[in-house]
Amino acid sequence: MPPRLHANSVPASIIPCPSVRSQSAQTFRQCREFSQSSCRRETLRRREMYAWLNGPGAALKNPLPGSTNYLGAYDKYGNLWRARPGWTPKKLDEEKEETKEEPKSDEEKDASSEGQEPADELEMSVRRDEERKQKSVAKAEKDDELPPERLEDLRPFPLNKYFRSQSVLSEELREAIYQRVVNEGASVSLASVEFGVSNERVGAVVRLKQLEKQYIAEGKTLAVPYAKAVLEMVPKTPYIDPKLPENKGKRPVQHESINDLIVHPATRQQLFVPVSESREFTRVDAGKAFDNNLLPADERIPHPELVTAERELAAGLSFAERTRLAQQRLQKENERKQKIEAKKQEELKKLRTVPGRRWDFVFQDISVENAGKDGRNDKGVGWRYGLPHEDRKKGQVKIPTKVEA
Amino acid sequence: MVLRIRLARFGKRHAPFYNIVVAHARTARNSKPLEVLGTYNPIPQPPRPGDERGRPFKEIKLDSARARYWVGVGAQPSDTAWRLLSMVGILEPKFRVGEVKQQVIKADSAAKSLIPPTQTA
Repeated sequence: MPPRLHANSVPASIIPCPSVRSQSAQTFRQCREFSQSSCRRETLRRREMYAWLNGPGAALKNPLPGSTNYLGAYDKYGNLWRARPGWTPKKLDEEKEETKEEPKSDEEKDASSEGQEPADELEMSVRRDEERKQKSVAKAEKDDELPPERLEDLRPFPLNKYFRSQSVLSEELREAIYQRVVNEGASVSLASVEFGVSNERVGAVVRLKQLEKQYIAEGKTLAVPYAKAVLEMVPKTPYIDPKLPENKGKRPVQHESINDLIVHPATRQQLFVPVSESREFTRVDAGKAFDNNLLPADERIPHPELVTAERELAAGLSFAERTRLAQQRLQKENERKQKIEAKKQEELKKLRTVPGRRWDFVFQDISVENAGKDGRNDKGVGWRYGLPHEDRKKGQVKIPTKVEA
Repeated sequence: MVLRIRLARFGKRHAPFYNIVVAHARTARNSKPLEVLGTYNPIPQPPRPGDERGRPFKEIKLDSARARYWVGVGAQPSDTAWRLLSMVGILEPKFRVGEVKQQVIKADSAAKSLIPPTQTA
């Protein structure tokens, strides 16, 4: 590698292209004396970059309010694909002016309406509100309301047209999930079905919300502006509150498909099992063909109860009958849970606690007989003799699989 | 030979875990004992989620009937084993366990805590 030379100290005769050199010296010498790079021309690429930044790219600098800010939503001249021709983004001052104007007009309307009808009936006021809303909607439409993003607009990388930005849960939806599970006591799978969010995500939302509330209770500062900024830039799944009157009859927005069969590692191989024609080969048998301990696909899906419900519907059962069956199932499930809980409580009661100064000593009564004759039975307690410890063995999972909270 | 009720250290470095064993006094610490009476985890565990008192605890598993039997036939507990066995009332407390317990009860009653009266001797 040749030694680097200062452009100033090199005589002009050495540099092969004097015209370029003189130009560069004129334009850049004063501003960057310390720079060691030899080539200081304003290249075509640099010019193109600035042309893009000041031209089509300028639209991306200030994100549209309430919209994603992806390259794929704009054409190469910097126009929004989904906007009507002639649409221009609102400037901030214009918006302010509009907001200033609106209350005045409302007041005028109020005054006129009050003049006409002094009686303040509830129904009438509701109707008036509706009318006003419709009017404002119409007005907004006139003012070039931007349509919501299409799938094609959610492409952050224009060269990769198959990548689409996936939506995340909105703040209201997350709060609603937390309230449903924690305060109203719905099971995770029930909440998953109701909100159209997968079981795992419901669990994660509940856990994180719990942490968030704990942080707030402890008085820790949250990175709220950061979260807000990020959430403004990504597509979101909205929460449709069924309690609100305008959402009557609306279904919740499905965030993702919730009943996907998870691919079990045992089923990754291709298998050819010769089966006689007379034999009935069901999914249960298919599961067993892959692995003896593998459950059939019907039981491995996250929500088998949905399949049962569909089956009952297809069987032509009446609504009352289906409700009864569903309640029976729910009751059975609850009983099972209660039994487990009772067992746990009973075992906790058996424990004997001796308080110490800094910690308690908790005694659990066991039986020596459990270890078996050779002392190697799994039910036996304690470190076993003559057996190597397997914590370094392949396949030992050390990552905790649950959090006690 | 003298029988002892003592602890055998297992576990890893900085993560001790003990088997409470009955063994001949002259055998090696971790050699195969006559019987494993239970275990003792000396590392305090964080309080359980539902625990309103919220105190850390040390887990001890013990077959108290067998421990009583071995003490009855003349097994000599080591100091630590004595301390543990005396907590469940198998032996007379020797190592100021009762004293500490009294202190704890006093402190807790002063703080109007919810600690129930101890069942131990």
